[in-house]
Amino acid sequence: MGALGRISAAYTTSCSSASASVSSLPTTAPVLRPLTHTASLSTSAALLKRHKYPGARDNKDHSKHRGESAIRRTGTRWRLSMSDEPLPRPVPRDRLPAVETDPDHGLWDFFADRATVAATPEQDAQHGRSWSVEELRHKSWDDLHRLWWVCAKERNRIATSNWERNKSKLGFGEAEALGRDREVRATMRAIKHTLTERLYTWEDAVKLAENDPEVDLTGQGPAFVPRDYLEEGETAAAEGEQQVAEAAETAQNTQAAPAASLDPVTIPSPKSQAEAPRL
Amino acid sequence: MATRVAAATEAVAQQLPRRLGKNQIFRPNHVVAFIRPKPRQPPNLATFVVPLQFNKFDLRDYLFHAYNVEVTSVRSFINQPTPRRKYGNAGKWFRPRSQKMMIAELVKPFVWPDPPAEKDREDFDHPTFTKLEKLREQQMEQQMDPGNIRLRTQVKAPEDRKSLKKQAKEFMESGEWSNGQIGDGKWTEVEKDAPV
Repeated sequence: MGALGRISAAYTTSCSSASASVSSLPTTAPVLRPLTHTASLSTSAALLKRHKYPGARDNKDHSKHRGESAIRRTGTRWRLSMSDEPLPRPVPRDRLPAVETDPDHGLWDFFADRATVAATPEQDAQHGRSWSVEELRHKSWDDLHRLWWVCAKERNRIATSNWERNKSKLGFGEAEALGRDREVRATMRAIKHTLTERLYTWEDAVKLAENDPEVDLTGQGPAFVPRDYLEEGETAAAEGEQQVAEAAETAQNTQAAPAASLDPVTIPSPKSQAEAPRL
Repeated sequence: MATRVAAATEAVAQQLPRRLGKNQIFRPNHVVAFIRPKPRQPPNLATFVVPLQFNKFDLRDYLFHAYNVEVTSVRSFINQPTPRRKYGNAGKWFRPRSQKMMIAELVKPFVWPDPPAEKDREDFDHPTFTKLEKLREQQMEQQMDPGNIRLRTQVKAPEDRKSLKKQAKEFMESGEWSNGQIGDGKWTEVEKDAPV
């Protein structure tokens, strides 16, 4: 063995010493041997070498990996640099320490309920109506943006619960989830409606501002400079309006009404709006 | 040695600014569902069902911005359903829409809670649900193979048949039978020799 430059591992020596009990080998062999073992070797090749005279033919073993087997886990025939390094043993899954989930983990937001994941039909049915366009018209862009994200995450939550209910076969609740989803989608539609309206209004305002001498669209200097005088052509009309305004002032004692009738762009005061004839 | 270098590289990489997409989407109209992991799936992998047009970068940025969840890598695949017929076993053949799934490797692991036991599913009306599902399956089987008529031993006997059998047995044993009704005395025997 040694003459061939091979190493004999504990396994091979135990095999050769216990040659009588060959049949008991599989039972005595450990289930998981470290990979430091090397191949068991045969000395027959060396012993069979007959021609020892000088100039005899080459009788060496040309197969470098003879006796190595991955199935029998023999290891390499040659000692490797890391042969003496102890290898880590795998730990069974049930003996590993339990992984703790962070209570502030972002993925909890996908769950309607932390214990059951899916919301019960009762929980799902506890929802109100969707936001109407009229209500959303009074909201700022930031508010609408926030509400959109709330809706988007709610839809993810509903989709997660639907999947979990179906796959884990929890029971009923699809109809309630669908009803909730419908309301969320209605809200999202209303948000889009509101923003589209706002865009159209803005486009109209830009068109008006192009011809408005008080508005500067160049982006240099103040955008709006209100004038405290009237053009010559406008004076006559203004005088007429002033007379009307005075009459209105004496009748109702209000100050906002003439201003409202002056400029069509400004929003009329709520009082005059209320008095306007209903169509 | 190698592990120390790797750890140092990792530490430096953590401090670098995150590379995220620059395309701003103000009203994302996507629905992303978080899916229960397979039984032996490690807790650092999270599975999602995403829209078909999503790519890996989309999911990474979506999770980071909307849920504040950091992800080291994303794997994706598409499940193509088998062709189906429009009305179960009749109608035109078609292929249902494919479904895209993505598995994200999380920085912070997330362990799913176990599904509730069957007795804890009262809120979902689980007993009725299972009964109905079983019935529907039987109906489906009957429709798919109408020639397969089940034997009497395979079918649960209905209650009326059981009670009828019991009554018949009693009658055979006692030899007399009564329906439990008492006559009101208005019944008269029709004369046998009356002309009809």
